[in-house]
Amino acid sequence: MSTRQAFASVVEESSYAQPTQEEQDKYLAARPGATTRHLGIALQHAQQIQAQKDAEGMILDRTIELLEIPTSPSADPATPSPDDVQSFKTALQLFRPGDYDNLIMERNYEDLCGYGLCPRQNRKQLGATGSTFHFKYGAKGSGPGGRGRAVDIVPRENLEKWCSDECAERALFIRVQLSEQPVWERRADETEDIRIELLEESRERRQRQKQKQKAESSKSASADPQNSESDITAGLRDLKIREAERSQELALERGDAGSSLRKGRVDIQVKEKEPSSHATPTAPQLGPGDEMGGSIEGYIPQEQLEESSNTLKDRDILDQL
Amino acid sequence: MDGDVSAHSQEADKETTRLWRTFRTVYEMLADRGYEVSDDELAISLDEFRQKYSDPMGYPDRNKMKIQARPTTTMEMKYTLKTKSNPNPTPDCGTVYVDFCPDASGVGTKQVRAFNHIVGESNYHTGIFITQTPISPSAVRLLSSLPNHICEHFQEQDLLVNITRHELVPKHVLLSPEEKGRLLERYRLKESQLPRMQVSDPVSRYLGLRRGQVVKIIRKSETAGRYASYRWVI
Repeated sequence: MSTRQAFASVVEESSYAQPTQEEQDKYLAARPGATTRHLGIALQHAQQIQAQKDAEGMILDRTIELLEIPTSPSADPATPSPDDVQSFKTALQLFRPGDYDNLIMERNYEDLCGYGLCPRQNRKQLGATGSTFHFKYGAKGSGPGGRGRAVDIVPRENLEKWCSDECAERALFIRVQLSEQPVWERRADETEDIRIELLEESRERRQRQKQKQKAESSKSASADPQNSESDITAGLRDLKIREAERSQELALERGDAGSSLRKGRVDIQVKEKEPSSHATPTAPQLGPGDEMGGSIEGYIPQEQLEESSNTLKDRDILDQL
Repeated sequence: MDGDVSAHSQEADKETTRLWRTFRTVYEMLADRGYEVSDDELAISLDEFRQKYSDPMGYPDRNKMKIQARPTTTMEMKYTLKTKSNPNPTPDCGTVYVDFCPDASGVGTKQVRAFNHIVGESNYHTGIFITQTPISPSAVRLLSSLPNHICEHFQEQDLLVNITRHELVPKHVLLSPEEKGRLLERYRLKESQLPRMQVSDPVSRYLGLRRGQVVKIIRKSETAGRYASYRWVI
């Protein structure tokens, strides 16, 4: 999709025009004491700010584009057209929850239901005019102890964002999947990792899983040892997935994950040092005077000398006695 | 029936009066910024305003209230930076366009896009968008995204009274680039060594100041009579 390409160009720092050599020289000449390293840092920060601006502009464009879908006024939010779903999902990859709230607000201003794939109008003038809260009754038997109805007191503006409770659920289901990390701090692959799932898709998937499990459990009843084996392989597979997650966490903890640090400010080239000689090292041997503590890089401390001479004298006296 | 009608007309009257105050403040603001504004426009009375801008129901018609003004030569001088490489520069200011948004609620990207279109199409240098309610965050971003044009936003209630006429607000005078240069030379300062003032400051918004400009603030002083200080707008 074009969204992804455009985003890649935002993240790719080299896509910004680098100043020419002449401009760089002029910059340095105007600032005595500045080195090319300073210039490099200034450029890096400028590019970061520019990337942020571009990303914000793009989110704004996407928000405006998303006001136009669904394309047909008779579209059903439960079974949206694949084209709409595609554009909705790719646009939302860039969004943070706050941006998504802005989108809902914009849609409400245009008299549309807050859920991006719903063409209906949002609810208006619920209950008495001027009331800020609204009673919402649950199904029969949902009250405490399984009797009566549960009652929720909901701010009216929260209800008036949507056309129905179903759309509210769908929209909020998407909101929790959005990443809190702003686009310009994400790495390119992180954005691609964000897979947004519609509520209907998620339900379908879960149902399929349940059926699969049912089928498997009925199978396992007949053949037990196979089951345990498949369990182990599945466990191993899970283990691997967790490992990847862990390593990502670790990288985040170390601070390796930030986009600014990916390349780094300093160009580091690791060079292994060639060993100067290939002679095998020998074990150290006891030298003269080492039993007294020895020398420090060839220097024998005075105290040690005196002490040794004292002990000699003492011994002499003792011998004499 | 009669009571209903009078209640309606009362409400219309109230709204007209409020809008008239805002309208007058807008003209005062344009005059203070240095645009050409006639005395008639500055001193428009409530009756005149009602005659000119109300619809048959008595409510004010915001679609009629569009204002355009050209900068005076003194204002042009203040916005012109003469350098050695560019001895005949064009001033960085131009015709201003003021639009009152008629929508009573929910001003979002749609209305701002229409406003941006007008400003871009007619090539106004500055656009001032006045709404009755706050505008959405995306709309704010969209408003500032128009390249080579300056778009500002005010709420009607922000302009009900002219804040610069309050006795506790000192006089702010914008310095031209040359005056700024002279000031920095006189006190041997870098501009970053001046005290600062935010672009989002109410007075700064009122005067339409831009980043990097310097204003002179003249206060009354008991000991010195008048006291001037300077602020660098950031």
